[in-house]
Amino acid sequence: MKTVEEIKAAIEAAVPGAGVTVVLNPSPSAQHSLRLEPAHALAVAAFLRDDPELAFDYLSNVTGVDWLDKEIAEKVKVTRQVTKTVDGPEGTKLEQVVDEIVEETRKHVEPGSLEAVYHLYSVALRHGPLVLRMRTVNRTDKVELPSLTPVWRAAELQEREVFDLYGIVFTGHPDLRRILMWDEFKDYPMRKDYVEPDDYEYEPTAHDAVLKRAQEHRSREQGSRD
Amino acid sequence: MVDNELKIELGKQGILVTTIEELYNWGRRSSVWPMQFGLACCAIEMIATTMARYDLARFGAEVFRPSPRQADLMIVSGTVTKKMAPQVVRLYNQMAEPKYVIAMGACAISGGPFKQGYNVLKGIDRYIPVDVHIPGCPPRPEALIQAFMTLQKKIDGQPLTGEGRPRFLDADAQCEFPVPEQGAHDLEPPSNQGVWPVEIQGVGSRERRDIDGRQVSTDH
Amino acid sequence: MASSPYFSLAVLFLAALLFGLAPLGLAWVWARVFSPRKPNPIKNSIYECGLVSQGDAWVQFRSAYYLYAIIFLIFDVEAVFLLPFAVAFTGLGVAACISMLIFVLMLVEGLAWAWAKGILTWA
Repeated sequence: MKTVEEIKAAIEAAVPGAGVTVVLNPSPSAQHSLRLEPAHALAVAAFLRDDPELAFDYLSNVTGVDWLDKEIAEKVKVTRQVTKTVDGPEGTKLEQVVDEIVEETRKHVEPGSLEAVYHLYSVALRHGPLVLRMRTVNRTDKVELPSLTPVWRAAELQEREVFDLYGIVFTGHPDLRRILMWDEFKDYPMRKDYVEPDDYEYEPTAHDAVLKRAQEHRSREQGSRD
Repeated sequence: MVDNELKIELGKQGILVTTIEELYNWGRRSSVWPMQFGLACCAIEMIATTMARYDLARFGAEVFRPSPRQADLMIVSGTVTKKMAPQVVRLYNQMAEPKYVIAMGACAISGGPFKQGYNVLKGIDRYIPVDVHIPGCPPRPEALIQAFMTLQKKIDGQPLTGEGRPRFLDADAQCEFPVPEQGAHDLEPPSNQGVWPVEIQGVGSRERRDIDGRQVSTDH
Repeated sequence: MASSPYFSLAVLFLAALLFGLAPLGLAWVWARVFSPRKPNPIKNSIYECGLVSQGDAWVQFRSAYYLYAIIFLIFDVEAVFLLPFAVAFTGLGVAACISMLIFVLMLVEGLAWAWAKGILTWA
């Protein structure tokens, strides 16, 4: 199989302005992936499937990743103008403006996003996997991504699952409904900020995590009764 | 009233002495027909139990009924997801009295290995009264047979009149088990207070009440 | 009356009737006396594998469905004939093969006719 860089070059030759970036995987598996621009994703996907040298005809897996908002603290060296009193000639004090280099921590919040990950194989040419990623703009209101179901039919149920558990809305999906949870359900359980319903009543168990939650539930219940 | 020793002695002489209660319970316990449904991997063990090697037919329970109207026993065999729970409770309601429940395996008892899952009901006894719990993941067919024998003993011991008579002979006993609604975050209500223990008395002990609010047992 | 030749028959008939009805009556009395009726809406709802039933249990089927059944039956019977033929295939001559082919062709012709008539389209 071509390397991801070669595939990226091929994509950019075929789909002008595709905006593909390589996401490197530093672990020993070195399974690098390609991040697609949602606007061009369908065209890129169709190219990956139809190109005779790539021929990714088999979509094996669609999954999601939840990236929380990240607060990044950076230490920046800033030059600042500081007024200083300097000893002047003949015992007088002079005020002087001096440039000083100060270290400052700046915080900025990098907005989180929801990511859909696709794993592609080629049955015809026996190569793969190629990992594709797509990110939404944020985690709250702009959560649309183009559905790749028109290109790979196998994506239909798995995109429904990603929609169900992560809340990514796949535009162009033929039948986007919840698949594992019931229709009235409002939450997205695989998101990192999902709060489980508190239904851990007390029971003797050897499972520490369960015991802890059960005891929390119990103290909360007693607190509400008192 | 013939005492037990005399009864055995008479039995040896070929004279059968019985009471209506005994005869009635003998008839009931000898043909406990389970309902034919399985929820997860425990169902495979349940199927194995009915096959020739373990042969559940010896206990009069080989006829798995495909309709709740004809079944006496519900074997909750496997993980009950929150999506499935209303259906299970509705099926239990649709069974004709007298009806019994065996919770088979860790999942049906408490959620088991999936207890911390967002979609798993933490024990079917939150909504319907369970007669026999079988631990195990999954329990072996012998364990299911043991549960059957326990249930048969329970049926044998049920008086027809007076205090402690089964629900279906009691005009005042509540026989409707509300089906939980699938809400926006969880099942609503999260448990049926008539079935699930209401009071938590202290660490390690809890009061169990039956459907009429009578205290059944306090296990420590 | 006792001398009537049908008297014993009548007695037997009554006994047979009683033998059949007595357990039913006993069961009915038992149910009335001992187990109180407690119907409720969930219990009486239509059995739909645990789901809430949609609509009524009494629905109409198209009578044209019987043609499907007949065509299915013909090919079902064909399989019965084909299996022994297939088992004995290596020992059979050309004549047997051709006669079997004619038999299958006749059935296929029937299917083609049904198809042409539009029976296979569900409307």
